[in-house]
Amino acid sequence: MGDSQYSFSLTTFSPSGKLVQIEHALTAVGSGQTSLGIKASNGVVIATEKKLPSILVDEASVQKIQHLTPNIGTVYSGMGPDFRVLVRKSRKQAEQYLRLYKEPIPVTQLVRETATVMQEFTQSGGVRPFGVSLLVAGYDDKGPQLYQVDPSGSYFSWKASAMGKNVSNAKTFLEKRYTEDMELDDAIHTAILTLKEGFEGEISSKNIEIGKIGTDKVFRVLTPAEIDDYLAEVE
Amino acid sequence: MSRGSGAGYDRHITIFSPEGRLFQVEYAFKAVKAAGITSIGVRGKDSVCVVTQKKVPDKLLDQSSVSHLFPVTKYLGLLATGMTADSRSLVQQARNEAAEFRFQYGYEMPADILAKWIADKSQVYTQHAYMRPLGVVAMVLGIDEERGPLLYKCDPAGHFYGHKATSAGMKEQEAVNFLEKKMKENPAFTYDETVQTAISALQSVLQEDFKATEIEVGVVRADDPLFRSLRTEEIDEHLTAISERD
Repeated sequence: MGDSQYSFSLTTFSPSGKLVQIEHALTAVGSGQTSLGIKASNGVVIATEKKLPSILVDEASVQKIQHLTPNIGTVYSGMGPDFRVLVRKSRKQAEQYLRLYKEPIPVTQLVRETATVMQEFTQSGGVRPFGVSLLVAGYDDKGPQLYQVDPSGSYFSWKASAMGKNVSNAKTFLEKRYTEDMELDDAIHTAILTLKEGFEGEISSKNIEIGKIGTDKVFRVLTPAEIDDYLAEVE
Repeated sequence: MSRGSGAGYDRHITIFSPEGRLFQVEYAFKAVKAAGITSIGVRGKDSVCVVTQKKVPDKLLDQSSVSHLFPVTKYLGLLATGMTADSRSLVQQARNEAAEFRFQYGYEMPADILAKWIADKSQVYTQHAYMRPLGVVAMVLGIDEERGPLLYKCDPAGHFYGHKATSAGMKEQEAVNFLEKKMKENPAFTYDETVQTAISALQSVLQEDFKATEIEVGVVRADDPLFRSLRTEEIDEHLTAISERD
């Protein structure tokens, strides 16, 4: 398809041993909208700002938190179009696993597959790295899990994490608020409060998204009405 | 600025600049504006309307051959703003994809699925070096069986959003400001209001009164979901209605 011309890697070592393309990709993530996730004792919550470019955009047509499998959900900070590609590839991986083993893919394995794709884009010919970091929330036989995957393809399991424009403030806030015995509803409250910290303007069910998964092992994106209820509780 | 990122390659192919930006993609947006044309799209309660300028560069050209409005299927319209050659190639591929969809799934391709497909294609051009991004912003319009009238906009960065109203091209920002005021209260426009809002938005930002031959108008209506371009006489009726209203 004509890509032979660029069969060499675009992400190469600088004289100081850094991969600058990856660092620039992280800059792209760092200027993206804030997202965060909290692992509770009985579930996981992920949340994100949903600031749209204009009031003319139909907010119902935008869904930033996406399902990967019925029991795994994900959200991003950074470039929206890149996220779609990763979601599509991850879903396909999950489906292939299901077809082969007749059981849902474990969270760790799906995260590893996704991270592999992201790593490949830091080493393959003629491509740039992904301009997104992901938070993956899932619940399987190993209990509730929260992972963050970065453009380099590295991933870690977190008790609570944040990324995007307000990382440092959000992370300090989470460090203060997090407790090991937190329950899902508390985690959702904390998630909202953390988002509220760095939020420009009035927070509402129209400009944030929340996804949660509990012991029922069904990942669900909250409806605007449900978010309104939680917002009222936080007040 | 370009030091360390491959001696300035960030301007030539789609790799990150030190600020985490993609210059090639930003230049593609500029190419859309540089074409010098402005387009508007408005979604009503049971219709969608798109309007664009029709600039015929030469008197001897066949008027009908200069168009940015394309039917993708009988039910889906596409308004391309930007580089004409790029949009022709995009439309050709879109038609193929829509036909393939109809064949595979047994029902017409919905507007949002087409928009996502276009945006996914555009994303590839922002990440792979072998092809440049398209210099086109595409608006897709159609009536959805379940969700009613839909208006989507796809850009060279690979974003696609559903819109209540939107604009693209040279005077995009001005038009968006105008439309934000008009759409603030979420008015449920009738068909005539939809068309006339779109046309008057374009007239307002360009500060000129059009002749019917100077614009193109594409519509879909819920009671007759076929995509069609309005005839000159029909455009004229709307223009008269607008000037009488003001």
